[in-house]
Amino acid sequence: MYRTVFLVHGRSGAGRTAREAGMNGMKIGSTFYFSRLLGNSVHGPSGEVVGRFKDFVVDTSAVRPRLIALRMRRGKESQFIAFDGVTIEKVNEQYRIDCADMSPFDYRTENTFMLAKHVLDKQLIDLDGRKLVRVNDIRLATLSAGTYVVAVDVGFEGLLRRLGIAKPAKRVLKPFRISIPSNLLLWDEIETIDFGHRGIRLSKDSSRLATMHPSDLADILEDLDVKAQLDVFSSLDEDTKLDVLEELESDAQVAVVEQLSIEAAAAILEKLPSDEAADILDEMHDDKASEILEAMQPESSGAIQALLQYEEDTVGTVMTTDHFSFNESVTAEKVIETLRAVRPEADRIYYLYVVNDANRLVGTVSLRDLIIADPSDRIGSFTNESTVFVRDTDDTDELFDVVHKYNLLAVPVVDEHRNLVGVVTVNDVIDNLKRTRKGRF
Amino acid sequence: MTTRRSTWSKVLFFLALVGPGIVTGSVDNDAGGITTYSVAGATYGYNMIWTLIPAFFVLLIVQEMNARMGIVTGKGLADLIRENAGVKITFFIFVGLLIADVGNTMTEFAGVAGSMQIFGVSKYIAIPITAFAVWVLVVKGSYSIAEKIFLIFSAALLSYIVSALAGRPHWGQIGSAVVHPQFPVNLGSVSLVIGLIGTTIAPWMQFYMQSAVIEKKLRIEDYKYTLVDVVVGCVATVVVAFFIMVACGATLFANGHGTLITDAKDAALALKPLAGALAGQVFAFGLFVASIFSATILPVATAFYVCEAFGFEAGIERKWKEAPQFYILYTVILGLGAGIILIPNVPLISITLWSQQLNGILLPVVLICMMLLVNNKEIMGRYTNKRWMNIVGWTTITVLIILSVILLVLSL
Repeated sequence: MYRTVFLVHGRSGAGRTAREAGMNGMKIGSTFYFSRLLGNSVHGPSGEVVGRFKDFVVDTSAVRPRLIALRMRRGKESQFIAFDGVTIEKVNEQYRIDCADMSPFDYRTENTFMLAKHVLDKQLIDLDGRKLVRVNDIRLATLSAGTYVVAVDVGFEGLLRRLGIAKPAKRVLKPFRISIPSNLLLWDEIETIDFGHRGIRLSKDSSRLATMHPSDLADILEDLDVKAQLDVFSSLDEDTKLDVLEELESDAQVAVVEQLSIEAAAAILEKLPSDEAADILDEMHDDKASEILEAMQPESSGAIQALLQYEEDTVGTVMTTDHFSFNESVTAEKVIETLRAVRPEADRIYYLYVVNDANRLVGTVSLRDLIIADPSDRIGSFTNESTVFVRDTDDTDELFDVVHKYNLLAVPVVDEHRNLVGVVTVNDVIDNLKRTRKGRF
Repeated sequence: MTTRRSTWSKVLFFLALVGPGIVTGSVDNDAGGITTYSVAGATYGYNMIWTLIPAFFVLLIVQEMNARMGIVTGKGLADLIRENAGVKITFFIFVGLLIADVGNTMTEFAGVAGSMQIFGVSKYIAIPITAFAVWVLVVKGSYSIAEKIFLIFSAALLSYIVSALAGRPHWGQIGSAVVHPQFPVNLGSVSLVIGLIGTTIAPWMQFYMQSAVIEKKLRIEDYKYTLVDVVVGCVATVVVAFFIMVACGATLFANGHGTLITDAKDAALALKPLAGALAGQVFAFGLFVASIFSATILPVATAFYVCEAFGFEAGIERKWKEAPQFYILYTVILGLGAGIILIPNVPLISITLWSQQLNGILLPVVLICMMLLVNNKEIMGRYTNKRWMNIVGWTTITVLIILSVILLVLSL
């Protein structure tokens, strides 16, 4: 990724080295705003007006978005003309568009988008600012290889320029030393989201969204409308999808999962911790939730079904069933090997739980104990047996008290036979507290 | 499949679906609305009640379009206008909306001042306290808490039924007045008809309704609930309006001549000797609730739409640092609205009328944008308007424009 440096000069490149471009009349290195061209006359080969300029078609298959055609309006008709024969010149502070060659352009939708139709006035994601912005104007630049989209203007100045009052406003404010903030974002720093009903999916390999933190992405998704939400979500790679889904507020989680196909929803919920999946399904329409459950692998859906049986506000609704437990007869070496093979997330192995042959909870082993133990030791020999645990049917308030009182990172959950059925981590507790504080639904 | 949801939360879930329409319908009967209905009842008796019938149908059509657009696109009306009508039209609409809503907010605070006067509280005490309370609720509270409070508030508007029944209205006369209304056609009556329709469908309501639907994350499967919600909301609006007109018509318009009142507070005062102190106080209480209600929603909604259209961060779930433009705009609208009312001898009546007229001019513009959007296949897919909806819609717009022009000409 190299950056377009000439943007720094801000003003359009009049007065810079005037080497004529072979194909377009603009000087090499000159930049101009899209809004200054909108609605201008388009002149034919002999200088007559042939239509009004409406839009540019941009090719996205190259490294940078390059103009390949313009759309103009002639009476009621729309016409596409290949950009190769087009020259854009600045004449008396106005831009004049000439078409030396009126060869029609065969408009195709794949790997292209249009500037006025899909970018101007639309929302897109500012990757650095980690927020949604609205495009007031678009900055284009002519280089030797063609004319490119280089930046979008999301500042107040762009808004005034569109209203046609930027220059007078600046003149009025100048004596007061007030400058109007302009805010240009380079094309590399943004990600477009909304291509209407054309069914364009953001191309997976070019999506720069994966560089963002999942929490920030989740915040942005929550602000988008349902269609754009699905577009953006679908463009993410599988791991990012999971991370983002876990970070979303519960109503947004439901909104996203409900829009996915049954198979896609089942596939992603299988990978989520079972308690998260149960929470999402619980908030969904019953019939759709049942369909998704049926499409899942039996072991995932079984675990989720079991969780759904718990009464509201019991420990069972908060716990996760994806925990690690080892039989007391396993050696330390074997446990470490297993962990290396499975590579669990950090919050899944705050403590390792030790069970007997009947799956009853015996106690806990910390990672420290495991590492300093002799590799051939059975873990039962160094298990801490005075473990605090809660019942799956206990009220969540008791759970919070236990976590708070003993300063625990995770608490094991057992059923009436003292069988280990799940674990509650401190993260689950915080999420749950935050949710109940906001009032659920 | 069994879920963990108790019966109570199922009821809450249904209430969560039903809500946008009812709240919108209640906000609709704000101080400006109550004033207009009271004046209509006091000046023309039962003869203006017929206007509620066309107003009801127009309201229904317009709000249904909003709900449908919200559900199908998932976008707010401000978003859609900005993305499809370009910057210039957006700018005109939103500058107009901003000015009109500052005026409307003033009207709400005038309602607070007037109603508290009935209970013997000076406006210099009532307004700063209510304005501050409203500001805190929005800046520190959350929308879901606010909306629940509002749903309870909506029920308080039923107090007007009590006021109306206290006046012992003649139902036979009401029936015949609806069928054969009798009133002189002049500047006063024409502008009142416009006022009645204009106060029932205010421009900002369209933005509010659509946002409320999106906030609920409703899907097209929920459309039937939304439709019920819209109908209930419209009925609620019109029923309250009807009883206010009846209350004032039965008491203040007696023996064939009207009582001259200029605002809702006068109506409450005039009710006292005629229908008893209770009727007057209940009337004033209703006015107070309605005013606070709208004074809470109006400034925050306006700030939100302006930011939405121009691409600033907005929403009460954001912190002040994240969305400074939104909060500053909100505070300015609220401050202006409350502050101007505190100026001694401020011409409240002309402010009310002037803001209502600006609403009237803005409404056709917003409605035209809505009609173009809702019929755009690229935006709405197969959920565009049916033919009869378009006929009703365009007819409404034409009538509103003609009425507004007449009003402008007459008032010059």
